[in-house]
Amino acid sequence: MSATPARDRTIAVEINGEQVELEVPARRLLVHFIRDDLGLTGTHVGCDTGNCGACTIHVDGEAVKSCMLLAVQADGASIRTVEGLAADGELTALQQSFSTHHALQCGYCTPGMLMSATALLERNPRPSEEDVRYALQGNICRCTGYVNIVEAVVAAGKGA
Amino acid sequence: MTEAPTITTEQQETTLQKGWIGQSIPRKEDKRLVQGQGTFFDDVRRHGMGYVHFVRSPYAHARIVSIDVTAALELEGVYGTITGDEVAIHTDPFFEMSVEPGGNIKDYALAVGRVRHMGEPVAAVCAATRELARDAAELIEVEYEPLPVLVDGEEALKDEVVLHDDAGSNVVWQGVFDWGDWEQAKAEADHVVKIDRLHFHRFSSTPLECAGALVEYDKGTGEWTIHCNHQMPGVGAIWMAPALRTGIDKLRFVTQDIGGAFGNKICLHPQFVVLCLLARKLGRPVQWTEWRTDQHTANAHGNERTFLDIEVAVKADGEMTGFSVRAIDDCGAFPRYEPLGCIIWAQVTPGCYAWRNIRVDFTQVCTNKSPVSPNRGYSRMQHLWLTERIVDIVATGLGLDPVEVRKRNYVKAEQMPYETPNGCVYDSGDYARCLDIALDLVGYDSLEERRRDAESRGKLLGFGIGSTLDSGTNNFGQSQLLNPDLQFSGNNEAATVKLDIFGEVVVTLGTVPQGQGHETTAAQVVADIIGCSPEQVNVRRGHDTWFNSSAGFSGTYASQFAFTGLGAVKGAAELLRDEMIQLAAAVLQAEPAQIELADGQARLKDNPEAAIPFMGLGAIVNANNAFLPPEFNPTLNHRYVCRPHFGVVDTEAKTGQLTLTYATQVHACVVEVDPDTGLTEIVDYAAVDDCGVRIHPQIVEGQVHGATAHAIGAALHENFVYDEEGTLLTANFYDYHVPHAMDIPPLKTGAIESPSPVAPLGAKGMGEGGGGGIHCICSAIQDALRSGGHAVYVYDSCNPSHRVWEMMQGSTAEVSR
Amino acid sequence: MLLREVEYARPGTIDEAVRLLAEHDGARPLAGGQTLVNVMKQRAAAPDVLIDLAALGELREISVSGDTLELGAMATLTQIVDSSEVDVARPILAEVARTVADVQVRNRGTIGGNVCVNDPTNHFPPLLVAVGATMTVRGIGGERTVPAEEFFVGVYLTAVGEGELLTRISVPARGPGSGDGFAGVTIGAHGTYIVNAAATVADGSARVVLGCVDAVPVLLELDQAHEASARKAVEAASLEPPSDVHASAEYRRHLAGVSAVRAVRQATERARG
Repeated sequence: MSATPARDRTIAVEINGEQVELEVPARRLLVHFIRDDLGLTGTHVGCDTGNCGACTIHVDGEAVKSCMLLAVQADGASIRTVEGLAADGELTALQQSFSTHHALQCGYCTPGMLMSATALLERNPRPSEEDVRYALQGNICRCTGYVNIVEAVVAAGKGA
Repeated sequence: MTEAPTITTEQQETTLQKGWIGQSIPRKEDKRLVQGQGTFFDDVRRHGMGYVHFVRSPYAHARIVSIDVTAALELEGVYGTITGDEVAIHTDPFFEMSVEPGGNIKDYALAVGRVRHMGEPVAAVCAATRELARDAAELIEVEYEPLPVLVDGEEALKDEVVLHDDAGSNVVWQGVFDWGDWEQAKAEADHVVKIDRLHFHRFSSTPLECAGALVEYDKGTGEWTIHCNHQMPGVGAIWMAPALRTGIDKLRFVTQDIGGAFGNKICLHPQFVVLCLLARKLGRPVQWTEWRTDQHTANAHGNERTFLDIEVAVKADGEMTGFSVRAIDDCGAFPRYEPLGCIIWAQVTPGCYAWRNIRVDFTQVCTNKSPVSPNRGYSRMQHLWLTERIVDIVATGLGLDPVEVRKRNYVKAEQMPYETPNGCVYDSGDYARCLDIALDLVGYDSLEERRRDAESRGKLLGFGIGSTLDSGTNNFGQSQLLNPDLQFSGNNEAATVKLDIFGEVVVTLGTVPQGQGHETTAAQVVADIIGCSPEQVNVRRGHDTWFNSSAGFSGTYASQFAFTGLGAVKGAAELLRDEMIQLAAAVLQAEPAQIELADGQARLKDNPEAAIPFMGLGAIVNANNAFLPPEFNPTLNHRYVCRPHFGVVDTEAKTGQLTLTYATQVHACVVEVDPDTGLTEIVDYAAVDDCGVRIHPQIVEGQVHGATAHAIGAALHENFVYDEEGTLLTANFYDYHVPHAMDIPPLKTGAIESPSPVAPLGAKGMGEGGGGGIHCICSAIQDALRSGGHAVYVYDSCNPSHRVWEMMQGSTAEVSR
Repeated sequence: MLLREVEYARPGTIDEAVRLLAEHDGARPLAGGQTLVNVMKQRAAAPDVLIDLAALGELREISVSGDTLELGAMATLTQIVDSSEVDVARPILAEVARTVADVQVRNRGTIGGNVCVNDPTNHFPPLLVAVGATMTVRGIGGERTVPAEEFFVGVYLTAVGEGELLTRISVPARGPGSGDGFAGVTIGAHGTYIVNAAATVADGSARVVLGCVDAVPVLLELDQAHEASARKAVEAASLEPPSDVHASAEYRRHLAGVSAVRAVRQATERARG
């Protein structure tokens, strides 16, 4: 990445295991790059202030909100989105648990929730209810009241 | 408590036979949604599409002096613009439902000559990218001449500032409802409790997905296709088509997955008309995604209502015989779906109580704030909050026990079905039993002990109850109680069920689900009727005006899917079942009565070996039908319209069956208030639901959780607050705090089933919830403050820490006496 | 959601970053971006050039030298939460970092960004004043240090000038017999503060710093680390806090007293060990 300021940049990212190289305007948000330029529409937008977490993805293994990063900031990074979870079409234990526990209704917050919860489980494989609530604080759901989401993540950690 | 309650989250015995119905099977929607494979409107792409950005008013009230789009049009990549002047030429004002004066209001898709609320769209621009569209919007120069601003509903009544010159008054609708004999009830009362003022605040459910659409125009046919998240397309088209000077059949609404709606996606017609005009003008598909700040400032707030001069007639033994109130409903800058809110509350006129004498003087006004739209619990929630505030304030004022006073005044289970003073019929329910279960879940017996424990930690403990109703299946005839000239009545919903060539069972719905799991529950009902597994039933996603079944009132609103939606599915599946049986009988050379449908087969009851799989039936009719006799012409494709029966409303007495089913929710909670800061913490919470037969108990419980979370948010944080200039101070999620996972306490739930005698499956709609959490938290905060020696009544539905603290400083003396 | 056009550069060294900042009018350093990108989304800010500090690894380091905890300005809040150095030297920093916004924001948001934004509701400005931090600022002419109490100069304004960069925050390690406290009232759990207060108690005296009640953190020095003297000091400060949708000035003034008392109480308890 060049130290000379420019309005357009060619960036290279690894996304869900695939290498992508594309020119983007410096002002483009990472979430719009993922949705509009790459067509990965599983990552959602629910607010314009960085509060809702519907756009949560993993950048170099950490959960981040892709509406608070510019695409150019991700140059050289490894990205994982919700489409990268069940890469072989086989649902992860967490995805399965979300369905089993009715942890989703409209499903709009779900990709972000799954990415936050996946990051939690990778750091802390058997989280308590309190751990889960703390880890999901940056993800708003307007359908479920979080009850079943929390239950689903705890259960996934227990292998249930 | 008088009797030991049975705590249960499992189903109670019901008269209906259950197969798939009643089971919490995995939802059919989930597999795609957990993989990010849902298709929401913003995921739809078309070649050559342009992105639309609205130019919005920074003023709450101003005259538009001029709009100059020249600089925007010169920007490379800009496809075109549209302004209010063009809208006024190419469209007619939207149809208004009110009588005069509100009926004279002129509401266009863009502001014409004047803006009436902050964020009102005055122009729109379409460009090659989202970013460019916003750049261009900034180049559109609008000159405004500010006008005096009106932000208070009571102030609006003075008509010193008038929003709509065509109406000549800020009043949209006014009327007095007088049922029973209030004057006599008051004269015969032992106590008349007076409450000066209660205020139900503005908030909304703020679905996580904002509104939007991609609109395509077919020049050759003059038809528009609207890929969107409108939740009530049938009614949306009734507004849009006449405004666009076209026929209803020229508008095709397509929805797929929708990221929540809660009523907030009913009034999208102004923006959608702009998109239709732009698509036609520019000859390309146009796409608009609403941003959160736009959603908050200019789309859909819930109705704000102020209750004044409340009087309650109470007998010496605690029996309440009725009440009188003056209500002022503030609908913001334009009525849109209003004045329906001026009557919808009457579905629950006495709340859960056997009050026979009720007088409501109801006025709705316009102010320079965002327009309202239906919002989860629409209009009934406000009124039910009033009834619960009345009960708690009366109980506190007269020293009555809040549990006993409720049980004394509740409509009793043995009175069901119960006709209210205004002719509505509560179909079934057992409120006292729900209350007992809720009390048990929160450990009501140990309350005083916990109060002392909280005191020892410097906290004020409060206990509260919220008993509420979720009335479902709207009778549009109630609109005639507002305006006898309106040509709306009844309700309807459609479904089609067919058996396809390889034995696929395919269902299309008119409904517009936004998370309620219609694909799953419809499949359960069909599976039970035609004898297969829900997995074999393919329920098409979403709504499609042209290619799915739909009816005039199609949509998902008013807690009615369990009645009208599943009623239509049931009707269509039964038609298909009957025909499959006839077909099998013809093939097997038996009588229809000898045939049964089970395990995906039609077979002889006495000889199950003689069976035709569904695939065989589908293939015969669709591909191999030469041998069928000419007089027998099965289609295996059946549409059914569920048309609930309400009878006709009495426009003189303002009575009638305004709705058909009444789900009950009784909430109870324990809070701790920090007397130093006014912060409220919910330490125990239970919600008990009775919606009759539960098709899918897990989905029902999920709706209870969700409605409770909305109520907790509204009761403690969520508030659309305006300053005197009409600027919305909580215009996004930064200042408008919606609860996150750490804000919501663990929720306990309980359920009983009192099957509805009127609903096709005994199941009542229940998604809206009735705001039980708001009622119960207000009740608990009042109890907490009183236990701390503060002689106050909770007078507002929103109680963030500053208001609770202010109450403790004694600033509510004028509120109640 | 949609930003104005902007130029972007990602320098590889601090010197290069400082040079770029000095060369370009309207250039702003981009740290975690958890505030800056947001205000750019609202088009409330529109810098011409963003100088991304992401490649400056040395700014991410957390270390202890002698009695001083050294925090690189680009250390993320998650790093601070997880840091064993912070845990040993000045655990209050991790404790407070743990309650800033949410996981995703803490993964990107930096301590330097938190203080350079100087939003009056932020957590770290009052805390860093209370613990007596020193800020190191690098410009084209070299390095200078600024005590935290002089660093915050106005709403969204700090001592970091045009063309300069905050590089390091130095915090004295907690001494024996001392203790730190932090208290306040938020909008929702771990939400935005309505009022907050940080307190440091050592040798029987206390420094109490109030946030959200003025354009900059308000420092109150108490001879005696008592709750009563905290209350009195807040009263004597004659605060004129802002009034907004979440709190009236009067309520904020009241909460300032409550928060100060609670922070002092916590710090005192910890000082006793």
